[in-house]
Amino acid sequence: MRVVIGEDEALLRRGLHLLLEEGGFDVVASTGDAAGLEAAVEEHRPELVVTDIRMPPTHTDEGLVAAVGIRERYPGTGVMVLSQYVQRGYAVELLSGRNGGVGYLLKQRIAAVDTFLDDLRRVAAGGTALDPDVVAVMVARARLSDSAVGSLTPRQREVLALMAEGRSNAWIASALFLTEKAVVQHTSRIYDALDLPVDSDAHRRVLAVLRYLNRT
Amino acid sequence: MPVTRRRTALHPAVTRSTLARSLDRALLSLLVAGVLFALLQFALIPYGSPEAPILLLFPVDLLIYLAAGLLAWYRRPSNRLGPLILAAGGSVFLSGIGTTLPPLVPIAAVAATLPLALVVHLLHAFPSGRIRGRVSRTTVAAAYVTALLLQAPAYLFDPTGPAPQLSVADVPWGVAAGSAVQGIAGVAIMITTAVVLAHRLLVAHRDQRRVLVPLYGYGIVTVLFLPLSTHLLAPAFGLPSAIVGGLQLFAVTLVPIAIALGMLRGGFARTGELEELGTWLGASGAERPALTAALTSTLGDPSLEVWFWMPQRETYVDVQGDPVAEPSASARRGIEVVELDGRRIGAIVYDANIVGEAELVRTAGRVLAIALDRERLTAELMASRRALQFSRERLVGAADSERRRIAQDLHDSLQMQLVLLALEAQQLAKGADPSGAMAERATELRKGIDAAAAELRQIVHAVMPAALVERGLAAAVQDLADRMPIPTFVELESRTLPPAVESTAYFVVAEALTNAVKHSEATRISVRLAHRNDVLHVGVRDDGVGGALLNRGAGLRGIADRVDVLEGSITIESPPGGGTDIHAEVPCVL
Repeated sequence: MRVVIGEDEALLRRGLHLLLEEGGFDVVASTGDAAGLEAAVEEHRPELVVTDIRMPPTHTDEGLVAAVGIRERYPGTGVMVLSQYVQRGYAVELLSGRNGGVGYLLKQRIAAVDTFLDDLRRVAAGGTALDPDVVAVMVARARLSDSAVGSLTPRQREVLALMAEGRSNAWIASALFLTEKAVVQHTSRIYDALDLPVDSDAHRRVLAVLRYLNRT
Repeated sequence: MPVTRRRTALHPAVTRSTLARSLDRALLSLLVAGVLFALLQFALIPYGSPEAPILLLFPVDLLIYLAAGLLAWYRRPSNRLGPLILAAGGSVFLSGIGTTLPPLVPIAAVAATLPLALVVHLLHAFPSGRIRGRVSRTTVAAAYVTALLLQAPAYLFDPTGPAPQLSVADVPWGVAAGSAVQGIAGVAIMITTAVVLAHRLLVAHRDQRRVLVPLYGYGIVTVLFLPLSTHLLAPAFGLPSAIVGGLQLFAVTLVPIAIALGMLRGGFARTGELEELGTWLGASGAERPALTAALTSTLGDPSLEVWFWMPQRETYVDVQGDPVAEPSASARRGIEVVELDGRRIGAIVYDANIVGEAELVRTAGRVLAIALDRERLTAELMASRRALQFSRERLVGAADSERRRIAQDLHDSLQMQLVLLALEAQQLAKGADPSGAMAERATELRKGIDAAAAELRQIVHAVMPAALVERGLAAAVQDLADRMPIPTFVELESRTLPPAVESTAYFVVAEALTNAVKHSEATRISVRLAHRNDVLHVGVRDDGVGGALLNRGAGLRGIADRVDVLEGSITIESPPGGGTDIHAEVPCVL
């Protein structure tokens, strides 16, 4: 799977490169700024882009702007945005537009290598991967303003958060020490409570949950 | 004695003192006397004689000089120009009185050429009333000698001359010699005067020239015409001496008109007296015009400046508190140091051409010393207040850029290193025997590093939030609201703002929200950012228990200080039980 990396810190760029190569990804280009990133994407048409937010020249939001642009122009390319700090506003911005194929994680998550590589593969395959921190903000916020979310049990909210992160039922089951059957029961109760349509497609299900959480 | 304040249309704020009104009455008396003299002269003219038109000129002259002299005297009580013009008018009257009043012929004979000396004196003394410079002083002295001493042979040595009563001997060569010397001296004086006036016009400031041109221009023509008419025109055209005298008298008549014209063109506005300055000092603050305006009006110099002495900086500052370079006193610019109790407190800088007497300025300075010292302290206060404001702005600016720098440094170095360290720890865990203790410890190490990174994230966020650096105020406030444990509604108008305004507004919102979470027991909070006329309005309102105070706790106080530095304002409405409404306005001119 061909990947383009955008990260201005040379050490981290190199670390990511090695990590991805070891994980079986084919890193076709790695650049240190947003302009270089967009040029590399134009040239290589990769399946996946991994990018930082703060990059030269202004060290503000150029990586995020580039990521949103790439998502619009290259529907076949998954985009994973990494940052030292995650916020709901950026997640909403990344999720808008075309469905799926997007991830937004704290840079620190790279270290949990297997989970990280798993997230990258899911994003490249059109799924989503949201950082637990940003999902926690979304759920807590929705709980305050939405009685349906407020009525969920603590366990259901746990399952809801993991769903919003983009996890599969099997992953949720192993993380919460539940059977997959129990997870399915929880998810269907959550769907009932939030009045969401049942969808067989896992990715679309996640997006529906995220849309619900960020309604206002 | 109570001082009556009467406002005049011309100088609404300067009051006429009792002394000034006494002067008014004296000038009125002079006017009446002068008019009576002129009427007397009119009455005595033998209207049938061929000389009548020339004789008419004498009382007309007197009236013109009277009017110009009184006007100058009224407008500048301390200037000698007014009395001088009146004296010139008097001399014209005296030189003409013999023709109409035979018993006074001797006086007329003695004063025959005195008007010319006074005209020369007037020209040299305009507009300050004082004769400045050695050339001018010598010329004027020579004019009086020529008019009074060199005139003597004409009546002393000629029994058939103008005043036989005064004749002591018949010395025809003496008369001729006297007349010749007088003629030559007269020509020299007139030409010197013309040159002096032309030079003064040449070096004058533009504004000053406006005032000087009518009189100096006309003066140059007159002083050249007077000797020319006697020594060239009369012999060349064979004019009778009566006609020449008439023409000269006519030329002299126009001198006060030129003076009046100069006065009316400005630069000769009516000045108050020192006593009026005292009255001004006693007036209440609101009615008092600025110190400089009062002095300008008293001394009649529109270019007058008041400087204040700053002892610490050993320099003068102007009324705005800006330092000024101290010029040396020159012929044009006079500088009078004002002292109070032996201390230098300021200086009055004036135009030496307009204000003739330094003593007058000195006296004005003494009268105003206390007021000047007070204004000096005000200027000093304003200067140090400005300096304080600049230093506060610099401090806040420096603190902000320091925060940004620290946050950026942590982001670039420590945060990244923690990612790499955690990665390293994870590789260790992966490489180790999965069942051994090593793998478990390496994984624990990785989780420990992750926890440290999470803490560091909180610190960096508190120092300078990422959203503020990356996206600006609205995004940062949105992120704050997203993380609130109380339902928080935002209404955010986004706009590019100066960094200091952004961070100040951000910390206002952050502090207000922190307080609301800690103390308000609110169930709902709303945050609003709006722009109106280059002012950022920041509002945070909750429906909690109220009772928040700006002065309680360091948090809000510090925020209020920051807002104050940016010349903004912050208000807190927090009645007990009525919620809390914090509103800040910060000017954000880019």
